[in-house]
Amino acid sequence: MLEVNRISKRFTTSDGVIPAVDDISFAIAAGEFVSIIGPSGCGKSTLFNIIGGLVGDYEGQVKVSGDIIHGTHPAIGMVFQEESTFPWRTVLDNVAFPLEISGLATSERLERAQHFVSMVGLEGFERRYPAELSGGMRQRVALARTLASEPRILLMDEPFAALDEQTRLLLGDRVLQIQQQLRQTTLLITHNLTEAVQLSDRVLVMTYRPGKLKREIDIDLPHPRDSEVVSSDAFGRYVAEIWHDLREEASRGIRDDENRVLRARSDR
Amino acid sequence: MNQAHAAAATRSVTMVRTVIIVATLAAWEALALSGLLFRDVVPSLQAICSAVFRLLTAADFYFNLGVTAAEIGVALIIGGAGGLAVGILLGANRFLSRAYESLVYYLGPTPKIIFFPVMIMWFGVGSGSKIAMGAISCFFPIAISAASGIRQIDRVLIRVGLSFRASTWQMATKIYLPAMRGPLVNGMRLGLGVAIIGTLLAQTKLSNRGLGYLIIQAYSTFDMPRMYALIIVLFMLAVAANALIGRLARSRNS
Repeated sequence: MLEVNRISKRFTTSDGVIPAVDDISFAIAAGEFVSIIGPSGCGKSTLFNIIGGLVGDYEGQVKVSGDIIHGTHPAIGMVFQEESTFPWRTVLDNVAFPLEISGLATSERLERAQHFVSMVGLEGFERRYPAELSGGMRQRVALARTLASEPRILLMDEPFAALDEQTRLLLGDRVLQIQQQLRQTTLLITHNLTEAVQLSDRVLVMTYRPGKLKREIDIDLPHPRDSEVVSSDAFGRYVAEIWHDLREEASRGIRDDENRVLRARSDR
Repeated sequence: MNQAHAAAATRSVTMVRTVIIVATLAAWEALALSGLLFRDVVPSLQAICSAVFRLLTAADFYFNLGVTAAEIGVALIIGGAGGLAVGILLGANRFLSRAYESLVYYLGPTPKIIFFPVMIMWFGVGSGSKIAMGAISCFFPIAISAASGIRQIDRVLIRVGLSFRASTWQMATKIYLPAMRGPLVNGMRLGLGVAIIGTLLAQTKLSNRGLGYLIIQAYSTFDMPRMYALIIVLFMLAVAANALIGRLARSRNS
């Protein structure tokens, strides 16, 4: 369904050329839920933007159903890490946004938007503005908005990063339910171990700078799943296994940050 | 208790205001009657009141009011559209911003009346040069607010629009403009204020119609009651216009 073929991306900065993503390849089958986990600074957001078509000038190919794509593609829907609802639109109008872009008639688009508002559990909040909602509710609006464009492939970049752990677990349940219901091919970018294991069929671990794929772990936990799964032994083993791989990378990231701070001090 | 306090405070504010107004009017009237100043320089309140009445019942006032309003309106449209376009360019393009933005900032507070002779030569002594003065005046605050407005747009909202494959026109009307509405409304308010100043100032300098012209005409024929009447009416109109825009801006921001 989605295929990433030998993607590399370098950024030129004042410190020289930094390889952000290095020779990454993977494929996601239709209906599969895959997470990419990596320490901060491993280039996973860059990868997200490349697949979503918002960043150009990279090596390698992104393929959807076998066709190489360039730039944004209607089959791909993106949910961003940052607060991304339109503050001047109500919940319903936010969700209707992609339908408005594709030129759907008002009555039909509001009806379809309503469907997706209900799907994320926000009935009764249609006429509210994002400022009146909590962070978790706003992220649900952003999710419903992307779902409303009915993408075959859902890309999410740490959509719950700004939320507290409990909200995150419950929203994870919701996302999984919707994903099972729509049989949507999903790629989740995250740095959260629990989230990756809770939601995914497969987890890809990335290395710290330059971002390469380090390992691939199949999560063989039963479906349907909900957040209760976090207390099972199998869940704990998966988390431990991934952390074993991730720990080394995360420590390298931290050392790198420390060195950068020290260098900055001695420059002055 | 608190309510009673608040009511008492409001009452005393009203009282202080009334006292000041009454005292000023009384001092004015005393000065007028004392004969200390030359003839009509300080006309009596009664003379001013009847001048206001005569002004508001004469057709030529409304004609000149219409001329001024039309000139300001056209100036706002021209200067506003130009300011918006330039502001968007400066805000969106780092190279243009580095090349020209400081120029806009430096020219912004310059008294635009110094361009008036040029405007007369370019656009004639009629309405053209007045509109040009108003347009130049409101161009700067609107350009500056548009530039800062476009820069304060949350980048992720633009990425959302791109990810849904919005066209350039859809990006402009559905994301950029609504996202910069606050700074734009503010810029329009400032713009209207300076457009009024620019246009009226030009009318007082060289013109044969408009409210600015009427004031200068009253002054040069030494019709002091009429001059004061015009100033009072103009003052009231400016207060009303500002209050109106303030209300519009608030209702749009909510």
